[in-house]
Amino acid sequence: MNEKKLKQLFGSARTEPVPSPLPGFAADVLAAVHTERRPAAAGSQSTWEHLNTLFPRVALAAVVVIVLCVAADWGLTEAGLPGVSDGVAQATSQYLFNSEDL
Amino acid sequence: MNEDAELLQRIRAGATDEFGILVRRHQQRVFGILHHYERDAQRLEDLAQETFLKAWRALEQFDGRAPFEHWISRIAVRTALDHLRREKRRKNEVALPDLGEDVLDWLRSPDDKSELDSRAAAEFLERAMQQLSPGDRVVITMQELQGCSVKEIAAAMGVSSIAVRVRAVRARAKLKQVVEKLSKQ
Repeated sequence: MNEKKLKQLFGSARTEPVPSPLPGFAADVLAAVHTERRPAAAGSQSTWEHLNTLFPRVALAAVVVIVLCVAADWGLTEAGLPGVSDGVAQATSQYLFNSEDL
Repeated sequence: MNEDAELLQRIRAGATDEFGILVRRHQQRVFGILHHYERDAQRLEDLAQETFLKAWRALEQFDGRAPFEHWISRIAVRTALDHLRREKRRKNEVALPDLGEDVLDWLRSPDDKSELDSRAAAEFLERAMQQLSPGDRVVITMQELQGCSVKEIAAAMGVSSIAVRVRAVRARAKLKQVVEKLSKQ
């Protein structure tokens, strides 16, 4: 099979007439559309759909907060001040799990 | 504002029945795309209906930056791609039907000047392209039968232009092999 023959094959196939839709085609589509729910308008999304849309941003914000906390902890420790983890440990031992208060 | 944009505005405002006007306006284009992938009239109509229903469901996402006909064409191509994937799974082990003698004679003939009937050529190509992957088939159909540019194919399939070029070369080589094999049947 040479290239010219393949091109001829495509050329002939290209001239095949396109079948026309039946006269009632648009009405059939419309009937199917009526059985469907109307497309949701932008303002009528549920909370769940909103959360789904916002998920990548929420995840990114969480990562940023974690990174900031780790950086702050490291910075405070390096500066010789009590870090965030030290503060949390102190608060835990003093207030939350103080066995004397139980 | 063009006619489609005005119509879409009315549909979005609640004039659902006017979607029928949009369907009538673009149905020939949608059939023109889909008939390259499905030759059975009933299934072709089902695919066209599926295309318009997908458009209806996604109407809020159409931002109007590109013409509506481009958008609906892309939906038609993706509907065809889904259809080919479904068919590929179903027909994987079915042998190719026998080809007509006219087509085989034409293929075997060294004469480059004789023309093949358009219907026979389209049927033959359809059978040969069943041997390609759905993605390869869409690329070669859009390029060779619909005359689309690489950019248009890339946009319709949601892939890069480079991927389309690579795929087109590979698909063409594979198709050539299949046609050669079929002509020796």
